[in-house]
Amino acid sequence: MATEFDQTLDVKGAKCPMPLVKSRKAINDLTVGQTLRVLATDRGSVADFQGWVKTAKNIELVAQETVQENGTDLYVHYLKRTS
Amino acid sequence: MTTTNVPTTATTRTAAELYAALIQSQPLFILDVRNEEDFARWRVEGRAALETLNIPYFEFIEDEAAAVARVPRDRDILVVCAKEGSSEYVAEILRNHSLNAAHLEGGIITWGNLYDVRDIADNAAGRIVQIARPARGDVSFMIISDGQAAIIDPLRHTNYYLDTARQAGASVTQIFDTHVHADHISGGPALAQATGAPYYVHAYDAIHPIDMLPAQMPYEHLQDGQTFTVGQYSVKVIWFPGHTLGQVNYLATAPDGQSYLFTGDGIFLKSFGRPDLGGKGETWTPILYESIYERLPQHIDDSTVILPSHFSLLDEDDGQGRFAAPYGQVRRQNDALVPRSKEEFTAYVLGNLPVFPPQYVEIKRVNIGLVHPTEEQAGELELGRNICALSQ
Repeated sequence: MATEFDQTLDVKGAKCPMPLVKSRKAINDLTVGQTLRVLATDRGSVADFQGWVKTAKNIELVAQETVQENGTDLYVHYLKRTS
Repeated sequence: MTTTNVPTTATTRTAAELYAALIQSQPLFILDVRNEEDFARWRVEGRAALETLNIPYFEFIEDEAAAVARVPRDRDILVVCAKEGSSEYVAEILRNHSLNAAHLEGGIITWGNLYDVRDIADNAAGRIVQIARPARGDVSFMIISDGQAAIIDPLRHTNYYLDTARQAGASVTQIFDTHVHADHISGGPALAQATGAPYYVHAYDAIHPIDMLPAQMPYEHLQDGQTFTVGQYSVKVIWFPGHTLGQVNYLATAPDGQSYLFTGDGIFLKSFGRPDLGGKGETWTPILYESIYERLPQHIDDSTVILPSHFSLLDEDDGQGRFAAPYGQVRRQNDALVPRSKEEFTAYVLGNLPVFPPQYVEIKRVNIGLVHPTEEQAGELELGRNICALSQ
């Protein structure tokens, strides 16, 4: 079953730290309880997002998945604003 | 030239500049902004006194003031991340808070691939050149004399050896591995292909010790006591089983009698090579004992310069980036070499074995031609510093 989300942020091609910087801004624009889907090509984002949500006060990492798009890996993160 | 420490205003440092700073014990403070997991796997290491702090970059994004407050204000900060982006981002934040911060160009990946080439000896007999990969603690050597060059324990990036030979106007005549390595991918077979010179390794190491499968790459078998000539140097093979069954040391002797022992993972300057990476530590430890205390002393004296293929910390150098010391000094400074009975030695070794990195089994497969990794896979296999010595 696909994970539900409210907004999508496309950071394909962006390198560290931009996927996370832009995700932070996008989450600030969500209302509490909403989920952001982030599409990234930076492999480092997988571990970084896991570390980030441990520090961040109002974010839950609902799911992460890797999918193929045009022969390259796409890293998809689902982040929920919790407060 | 003055040695005054001028506060640096540059906003970047190259990996080579970082290495020079570490060698000179400059008062550097490293702020590593990768996530905790990556930091735990490996990091920039230098002398024991080097100070390093890990604050992931996302902590600066979450709470900038709190993260900045954890960084010392009175130091030269070098910010390090995987590639470069986050460290540049954090260094700018720190500078905005009036801290003296620069970032490492190319990140820790570039640091991991830095090679350092410098002479151990340069005299009438020829040159002994050290080619080190400092981030990994890997060291290799070349003997260059009268237009001939032998390479000992070459590392994966072969251009440094080919360039060094070409700049010296020498042709490569032998490629020697002291053993089949477990921690890094040997440049030996590739150099043999590039130069046409034979690649030498002991046949006992051409069988994978865990898989019990034979090598699939071309090599020449070595005999204990066999001798070679490299220009004015004579090079003798000394079988030194223990770390591996086929490990050898190469004893190079100049016409004036000065000798150099390339020990591979035999004795190190502050430790020696662990005997358990073949999966049979208890069986191989007594063999290692005989190599260290009975076989080796027959061939060398206190003036023989010991040149191992690894170090664990930069403190093992001579203060100038050379990982070399006379045997007499090594015997005095190396706690692992103090005289022990075979029973004491066995207890000491088996009580000080560090973690067995799982990728070491695969790296040996690569080194005897059983598997052929891509460049990216090779880089992954070689991540971090070697763990070939006993725990200290």
